Amino acid sequence: MSNDFSVVGPKIYATIHTGIPVLGDINITETLVVSWIVMAIITGLCIFLTRDLKTENISKRQAFAEMLVEMGNNFVRNNTGGNKFDKLIPFVSALFATSVISNLISLVGLRSPTADLSTEAAWAVVVFIMITSTKIKANGVGGYLKGFTTPIAVMTPFNILSELATPVSMACRHFGNILSGVVIDGLIYWALGLASAALFGLIPGAVGNFLSKIPILGFGIPAITGVYFDWFSGCMQAFIFCMLTVMYIANAAEEG
Amino acid sequence: MQLQALMMFAADAQKTQELVTLVPWTFILQILNLFLQMYLIKRFLFKPINNILEKRKELADKEIREARAAKEEADSLKDQYESSLTNAHAEAAQIVSDAQKEAQNKADAMVKEAQQEASDIKARAAADIEQEKKKAINEAKDEIGGLAMDIAGKVVEKEINEADHKKLIDDFISKVGA
Repeated sequence: MSNDFSVVGPKIYATIHTGIPVLGDINITETLVVSWIVMAIITGLCIFLTRDLKTENISKRQAFAEMLVEMGNNFVRNNTGGNKFDKLIPFVSALFATSVISNLISLVGLRSPTADLSTEAAWAVVVFIMITSTKIKANGVGGYLKGFTTPIAVMTPFNILSELATPVSMACRHFGNILSGVVIDGLIYWALGLASAALFGLIPGAVGNFLSKIPILGFGIPAITGVYFDWFSGCMQAFIFCMLTVMYIANAAEEG
Repeated sequence: MQLQALMMFAADAQKTQELVTLVPWTFILQILNLFLQMYLIKRFLFKPINNILEKRKELADKEIREARAAKEEADSLKDQYESSLTNAHAEAAQIVSDAQKEAQNKADAMVKEAQQEASDIKARAAADIEQEKKKAINEAKDEIGGLAMDIAGKVVEKEINEADHKKLIDDFISKVGA
């Protein structure tokens, strides 16, 4: 047990040399591996939930699957006010499911893919492109560009800045929350490890020597703090991210 | 606890990414992952569930449609029955009134006929009586005439034969009696 505390980034399992400039080498990191595990979990769950569907006398499993679908439908429809954005439903659902499972997978000891800024940046950029394309679709390219000069031309730099701030803030908000959870969890485990080492080190002889190596206090207490830092924060950030996605896109279509 | 410790040891043994950084390939792969996940969710959750929801809705719609059609049919049948019932009532009333009228007519005709007949009979009887009376008077006149002739003859004959006198009276009486 080290007395130093540090939080490190995701491990790199393998590196594929591509020789492409700017993009660099492909690193198969923990982020990607756990992402694939998350995707496998979600897809497996979907397949499991939708086995032998019936129109009447449905199983609990099917009722749950239908509830999820209805929730997705209602979430998008209520926040956009109509059926205009039904195309978005699978996207938002995928975003939410991936986000939640990624955030919560840290509970089983894997590193959250969402504790890597690249993940959130990828999502935020996709959402940003969707927002922009919706705006262009609603107002035309001219209308979209003209939108930056409202209410007066002087505001243009600020408007551009606020436009760019959208994906940055979305990515950083999510990433910051999850990373803070990782840091806090790490700190708590570390502190409890030190505390139990100090406490059981008081017992003289071999017994104390042995017990002080086991972080006994690390059992139980992190589960309580985990309720907030993992469960609440994880679900909340996924919800906020999806909510913002839907809201921004719905707003983008209304402009002009 | 173990995890963080392991991570720290791993940091020495294994390369790690920086804590806050943007890795282009991870970024690109995560975008692809997101779209792949979207497709998978669409394919394995939304498609089958929406299909089944659609099917159930169709089933419910069909049942409602059928129920509505059945109700309409029942309504039309009811209307039909009601109208036919009304018709039947009217017809019955018609028949009754016809029958009454006919009966009335018949009765009237009968009474009239009876009256006619009665008056006929009366008239005939009166005529008969009249005729009989006339006949009787005529007969009586004839008889009286004959009688007078006979009497006159008898009166003439008496002087001829006394013996025949009695016989003549008897004859006369018997003739009158007959």
